Amino acid sequence: MAGDSGVGVTRATTSIAGMTVTTGQPTTAPRMRDLVAELRERLARVRLGGSEASRARHVERGKLLPRDRVDRLLDAGSPFLEIAPLAAWGMYGAPGDELAVPSASIITGIGRIAGRECVVVANDATVKGGTYYPMTVKKHLRAQAVAAANRLPCVYLVDSGGAFLPMQDEVFPDREHFGRIFFNQANLSAAGIPQVAAVMGSCTAGGAYVPAMSDESVIVRGQGTIFLGGPPLVKAATGEEVTAEELGGGDVHARRSGVVDHLAEDDAHALRIVRSIIATCERPVQPSLERAPVEEPVEDPEGLYDVVPTDLRTPYDVREVIRRVVDGSRFSEFKQLYGETLVCGFARIWGYPVGIVANNGILFSESALKGAHFIELCNQRGVPLVFLQNISGFMVGKDYENRGIAKDGAKLVTAVSCSVVPKFTVVIGGSFGAGNYGMCGRAYDPRFLWMWPNARISVMGGEQAASVLATVANRPDDEEFKRPIREQYESQGSPYYSTARLWDDGIIDPVDTRRVLGMGLAAAANAPIADPSYGIFRM
Amino acid sequence: MTDSTSVRVESRLETVLVANRGEIALRIFRTCRRLGLRTVAVHTDADAHAPHTRAADHAVRVGSYLDIDQIVAAAGEADATAVHPGYGFLSENAAFARAVQRAGLVWVGPPPEAMEAMARKDHAREIAVAAGVPVVPRGEEAGFPVLVKAAAGGGGKGMRVVRSEADLAEARAAAAREAAGAFGDDTLLVEKYVERGRHIEVQVFGDSHGTVLHLGTRDCSAQRRHQKVVEEAPAPTLTQAQHDLVTQSAVALARQVGYTGAGTVEFLLDDSDGAAYFLEMNTRLQVEHPVTEAITGLDLVELQLRVAAGEPLGLRQDEVTFSGHAIEVRIYAEDPYAGFLPQAGTASLVRWPAGVRVDHALESGQVVSTSYDPMLGKVVVHAPDREAARRRLVAALDETGILGITTNTGFLRWLVASEEFRGATVHTAWLDTVALEPPSADLARICVAWVSAMLAAGHDAGHPFQADGWRAGAEPAPTVVDLDRPVVVDRRAGTVDGVAVREHAAADHLLELSVDGHRQRAVVNVQPHRADVAHRGQWFDLAPPDPAAAHGPVLSDGSVASPMPGTVLDVRVAVGDAVEEGQVLGVVEAMKMELAITAPVTGVVTSVGAEKGAQVPLGHLLFEVEAADA
Repeated sequence: MAGDSGVGVTRATTSIAGMTVTTGQPTTAPRMRDLVAELRERLARVRLGGSEASRARHVERGKLLPRDRVDRLLDAGSPFLEIAPLAAWGMYGAPGDELAVPSASIITGIGRIAGRECVVVANDATVKGGTYYPMTVKKHLRAQAVAAANRLPCVYLVDSGGAFLPMQDEVFPDREHFGRIFFNQANLSAAGIPQVAAVMGSCTAGGAYVPAMSDESVIVRGQGTIFLGGPPLVKAATGEEVTAEELGGGDVHARRSGVVDHLAEDDAHALRIVRSIIATCERPVQPSLERAPVEEPVEDPEGLYDVVPTDLRTPYDVREVIRRVVDGSRFSEFKQLYGETLVCGFARIWGYPVGIVANNGILFSESALKGAHFIELCNQRGVPLVFLQNISGFMVGKDYENRGIAKDGAKLVTAVSCSVVPKFTVVIGGSFGAGNYGMCGRAYDPRFLWMWPNARISVMGGEQAASVLATVANRPDDEEFKRPIREQYESQGSPYYSTARLWDDGIIDPVDTRRVLGMGLAAAANAPIADPSYGIFRM
Repeated sequence: MTDSTSVRVESRLETVLVANRGEIALRIFRTCRRLGLRTVAVHTDADAHAPHTRAADHAVRVGSYLDIDQIVAAAGEADATAVHPGYGFLSENAAFARAVQRAGLVWVGPPPEAMEAMARKDHAREIAVAAGVPVVPRGEEAGFPVLVKAAAGGGGKGMRVVRSEADLAEARAAAAREAAGAFGDDTLLVEKYVERGRHIEVQVFGDSHGTVLHLGTRDCSAQRRHQKVVEEAPAPTLTQAQHDLVTQSAVALARQVGYTGAGTVEFLLDDSDGAAYFLEMNTRLQVEHPVTEAITGLDLVELQLRVAAGEPLGLRQDEVTFSGHAIEVRIYAEDPYAGFLPQAGTASLVRWPAGVRVDHALESGQVVSTSYDPMLGKVVVHAPDREAARRRLVAALDETGILGITTNTGFLRWLVASEEFRGATVHTAWLDTVALEPPSADLARICVAWVSAMLAAGHDAGHPFQADGWRAGAEPAPTVVDLDRPVVVDRRAGTVDGVAVREHAAADHLLELSVDGHRQRAVVNVQPHRADVAHRGQWFDLAPPDPAAAHGPVLSDGSVASPMPGTVLDVRVAVGDAVEEGQVLGVVEAMKMELAITAPVTGVVTSVGAEKGAQVPLGHLLFEVEAADA
């Protein structure tokens, strides 16, 4: 029941219970639309891939562009939940060159192949020869993590010159560097998650292990090559002169070496073979999430452009967001009258049951306790969790510290950490401090984490950081001291800064929130849910 | 026809056995049923579930449609009172007619004597001459070129065109040998050869009360190797004088032999001088009778039954009226672009055009074998004039879809749409001289891609991974449909591989699209692992190729090494020999198996490293072949 709080805004009856705060912020409405327009424009730019000349060269060789490969690999009309399309945005180039390595020269995401959800990893050879920058490695590993968590078959469309040599120290040696790709392939395969590779271009040095470590692999004749050392390296090492095709072409590997299992005539043929391979893979017997018939929200999701103020300091009722995301705009709220700054309740998204945890102000002890309780409920019932994050942090101050807000916050963090149901986080506003932890930030392994274009993320606000540092430095009123700190936080708090570094899985148009959550839930339904158990809740 | 007459037909005939199969059996049953007659089918084991077997009131199994005794016995078993032979099989077999009559059954056909009189070409010619009907000049008076043919012949056997006196003797000898072999009779005829002729025929009808009528002319000049493919009525190019000549001659000939029932008198019209010559008389109902029915409004099978029942035709010549123009095409299971080879297979989907007459016995799912005549059906149109009929036919063939088996429908559609057919300049030899271009699949592919994308879009609706092409922060991606090659369909923008497409209708497998502004119709059947389309009548199977079946030849340096240690059993080439890829170069025996060593590429043998009887180790270089330049 809509318990209008009498602030002069009368709404049509909706099934969402709770307080309604006035949301009339007409001046902010165009800003969200502007932010979305900017997002779409940036996505369009990175989706072109490499330079026009580089793309033309690629196509002249009879190769499909990587996104065309993905489109042809997927079932006719399949949607594609791309992971981190704006990775490496603004990195690796001269200042101001945001497109030095578009999409980190690799395309990753989830689409349908032969009727089932699969993770696709496709190198973009039009960007620096498809070589692996630090973010390329991180993105590749992230895709494998998605595959592991959701038990999705992996398809690697390989066309890469291997590690980006000038940055080898950030690509090669560490635990989560290049070698981890193959560690993951072995362990994914061990877990029964199919690993399929199609070699559609270079596959050099360490990269040669992508097809070699796959369960089944394909190579395109006259186009794909696999070798540990390319012709120049061979010549340098042994003096042997050999062509790439003789060294590691399709015929060599399909007929002699056995490094690949299938020989394709061209890209289209290779993709067709991959599709037929996936069609033979065993399917999950039963989805882990039951799904009711889908219902569109009663409230038009486009309304999100108008009801959400982009100025984080302007309060609004997060139920305005919830009712534009969930099926039938129906939301069964839990503990509506208690800990009101955290809204919890059950709903459905694309027919899947979800428990929603959404900030509606600062976190207090009560809201943290309520959240921990609700998360336990969802785990008890096997209901996935959706966190709508817009949090400036836990309440500070003597009263709150003395009453042990830290141990209540710890309960929430424990519940989030030990949660076994699939978790999804959408940063719809601020993501600051311990609020990020309690609301399932990246460190808490949500299956997916997306950001709205108005989101901000940092350990604290720029102003607060500047004040704290100025105080510590004993220069409390020094504007010259504070400005660069504020600027640093401003730049690093941007969702583009975040998404460039894979702190999230992508910036999304708020209107797409419902769709990406639905797709995430559908992906998650491929993996069974374990039994819950928790660490010690500090009482 | 009044009710009282139909009672009379019923009283004599009551139960009609049709000694035939396929569309003609169904067509005869249709009239029988309208007249209140019971129907009996005969069928072979292969036709146990054929449409004609199912359509009849009673069906009797026979070993063959040519077995006279069994068919007469079947008539007895089914209490049939009359036998209609249809066309083909035993329809012109006088012995069959007599056997039917001996069994006390009504024979729905001409008197056996008339059948016999017309069965032999030389005999028929004598009767024609006696009736004052013009015949093809023979022997000396013919002049060259002449046709040498077997008197007992048919089907082109023992036929030769001779263009000069010098070649005549040799041609006669050869034709005689062939005729003796084929027919056991080496009697030859030599007659004028008409280079550009038209096949004109006249439908005649006689009753046992002395009436003989003609029901107008037909032109069946569109022929392929003497096989009619398109027939029309009336014959479009006849002058009044020619018309009068052929119709009067036909009636005179029928009278001469005391003909009753339906018959057809065929003439050859010489395009060069307009002369018409008697060819032969067919003593049965013709395949192409529907065009005559269309322009006269008469049911020829009904007339056959009435005459057989002893009734008068009840029609004077001046009461026979002609209206409009009719064209028929014969749809065969054959591939016009592969030498018209008969085709067999399963017709996965059959869609006949609406609003026109279709005589057929082909349904979706039916197996077409090569055991019987490959004709699947006939499409017949009738319109006020020839051009209107022709357009109607083109449209009807565009709506005809026989999928899963190759037919000549696309070829017929091309023929009927051609300038030559439009101008009525097609002569009997034309189709055998014209080069047939296999139609392009481009428009068909666009049609089937469009439907595939439409069906894909509805796939798993309501699931977050529903096939709507969703992309984050962008317009939906176009649908990539995998056919014989990937095709990109953008349904929102209305393009297929970048070509503008607009949908007008899509229902019941019939698709209507504008492609680049031009209206196209196609019959489309998209199922899992199937993508069939008939466009302009031509069937295309555009399902993606089996990905495992397409491995091409090895990219080889041309060297062939011994695959096992063993003994060289044979060396079949020498240095300098030209070899084809896959050709056996030699044989090696190892582990009790003989391994054929084949050429990896087409080219020339440049070295032979083996001799017969030699022991060779694994990897021993046996041959080198230098690839020929592609």
